[in-house]
Amino acid sequence: MFKSKKLMAVTAFVLMFALIISGCGASQPEEQSNQQQEQNSGGNESQAGSGNNAESQENQERVIEHAMGTTKITGTPQRVVTLYQGATDVAVALGVKPVGIVESWAELPVYEYLKADLDGVPLVGEETQPNLEEIAKLKPDLIIASKLRHEEVYEQLSQIAPTVTHETVFKFKDTVQLMGQALNKEAEATKLLAGWDTRVADFKQKIAAKLGDQWPIETSVLNFRADHARIYVTGYAGDILHELGFVQSEYQQEEAAKGTVVVKLTDKESIPSMNGDVFFVFLSDPSNEEAVQKTYEEWTNHPLWQSLDAVKANQVYQIDEVVWNLGGGYKSAHLMLDQLYEHFELEK
Amino acid sequence: MSNDIQHKHFTRSEMVSELLRKKALTVIFTLILLSAILFIAGLSAGSTVLNPLDVVKHLTGAGSGEHNFVIHTLRLPRMLLAMLAGAALGVAGLIMQGVVRNPLGSPDIIGVTGGASFAAVFFLTRLAGSVSIKWLPIAAIVGAAAVSALIYALAWRKGVTPVRLVLVGIGLSACTGALTTMMIVLNDEYSTTRAYLWMTGSVYGAKWSDVYSLLPWVALLVPLSLLFAKSANVLETGDETAAGLGVRIQLHRIGMLTISVALAGAAVAFAGGIGFVGLIAPHIARKLVGRAFGYLVPVSALIGSMMVALADVVARTAFLPLDIPAGVFVSGIGAPFFIYLLYRSRHQ
Repeated sequence: MFKSKKLMAVTAFVLMFALIISGCGASQPEEQSNQQQEQNSGGNESQAGSGNNAESQENQERVIEHAMGTTKITGTPQRVVTLYQGATDVAVALGVKPVGIVESWAELPVYEYLKADLDGVPLVGEETQPNLEEIAKLKPDLIIASKLRHEEVYEQLSQIAPTVTHETVFKFKDTVQLMGQALNKEAEATKLLAGWDTRVADFKQKIAAKLGDQWPIETSVLNFRADHARIYVTGYAGDILHELGFVQSEYQQEEAAKGTVVVKLTDKESIPSMNGDVFFVFLSDPSNEEAVQKTYEEWTNHPLWQSLDAVKANQVYQIDEVVWNLGGGYKSAHLMLDQLYEHFELEK
Repeated sequence: MSNDIQHKHFTRSEMVSELLRKKALTVIFTLILLSAILFIAGLSAGSTVLNPLDVVKHLTGAGSGEHNFVIHTLRLPRMLLAMLAGAALGVAGLIMQGVVRNPLGSPDIIGVTGGASFAAVFFLTRLAGSVSIKWLPIAAIVGAAAVSALIYALAWRKGVTPVRLVLVGIGLSACTGALTTMMIVLNDEYSTTRAYLWMTGSVYGAKWSDVYSLLPWVALLVPLSLLFAKSANVLETGDETAAGLGVRIQLHRIGMLTISVALAGAAVAFAGGIGFVGLIAPHIARKLVGRAFGYLVPVSALIGSMMVALADVVARTAFLPLDIPAGVFVSGIGAPFFIYLLYRSRHQ
């Protein structure tokens, strides 16, 4: 009896001890690694500084604020690794060929629309778990990452090279701005964004002229998968449509206000919530095409589907998933806009 | 004459235990040797293959420092974290199987993985972005502890019997599983990708701070579990027998459960939902050294650590440049080996 009580006491004591120690362990090394990080970035600066003495402008140190803090970058980075699709796209748009990119979500390993520009660029793994050793091997001088995807490895990435992060992966304008600053191409970035704004204004004016009273129209971005359907309420395509002046059903507005990006529908009874004047539809998962096609047919043959405004008006368009959803970049935004011009038969 | 027989009998049982001891020590020694080989091989393998001799030099401090970043910052903490997590899960599973007297027992049964998954997915889908990711392990371990305590409390009826514990555990695991799925379904794909990744289990992006945080749990609790060796051996024979032999069943049971939950919870907090190890490592250990708890603890720890470490080495080297979550390979490595052991023992 005495013995087991003693045993319990020892157990309790040891557990508490473990908690305390692991608490210390959690905080201490972090400080150390932060220091290391600073030292490391300091080292990079002096290296870059001595290498680029010729042009004094090149030596300018820029401090960039981003989703995970501030990062110092000296001069114009030459070896950039992009760790999410949108960043890869924007790099190409800014006229920079990255030295390393992550695998695309479809059309593996690189999206068709970027293939020509990214010929021969090595992959560093998947966007969700990029291979740190591969990245280190490329000896980059700038890494573009996403807080959403790479928060856990930000510390290691920063030890490889100065790393700047975007909050999510789909706000392409933020990506353009961030990368413009980081790559020392702010003028180009501003130009890109201005070019976009001009086209948006043009589109708005032309579609309003064409549709007259009908404008603005309600759109829904719909997606069919093997086992469910989705409404993209906001997100990449949703944000762009919003900017172009399209509106959404009341239901979708409510969801957007709540911060919802995607509404997942598993029951055909919720088909009415898809309602809108125009549907943009894409089918996902090329690895399971049959199942996706089956879902699509089942849902679109349902009586409720026939009662939707867009279906009645024959305004259901199939769109390109890469451009509308997976690309998440600047070039893909333009391609999406091109497709919209075509759909509504507007003059470009 | 009678004296003689008794004497003979005594030496024989002594001989048997001496033989067992020798066999167990041989097994343990072999496993340590294999672990060491795996350790060096794992540190050498990667997208840059290093000479094992250079790795040994680095470890002993005689290295050139050339591969400092790859070995010290990337591979070493990852390897150590995998080994620690595997060892913790192996021992946690062993204890749990002893407590519930069921060969299918594993830390999952008392809700560790379920609770940790629920908390981690909640964190990733609701709090990530606003709360730093470094709190994720704490969230996971709190979830594990809370659900385990709840299961224990609900199973209590003048003490806890293994059968009630298993039944309540399975019930609550289903509940937490349902809640976790619900959270995933209700969230957008960006955060659910992370949630799935976590649930698969991965030691990707391991840092030294993670190693320091997990180390005290393993270093203190695994030896502590040995203190329960005697009662564990007796408890396995059944409550009545154990009580008859003077073991304070409830006290020992809760002590062992606490150790098991703490070990598994800590491992899962840092390595995610690598659940299978806790189930299979103790079985492999039993095939190797029999049923004596004192030997089973180190052997389960070694087997568990080798399983996770090997899985991670394969995961990060087999499909270069892709870096795949280790959880994908854990069952792929453990199950065939276990089946081989079963097959061999049947044909002996």
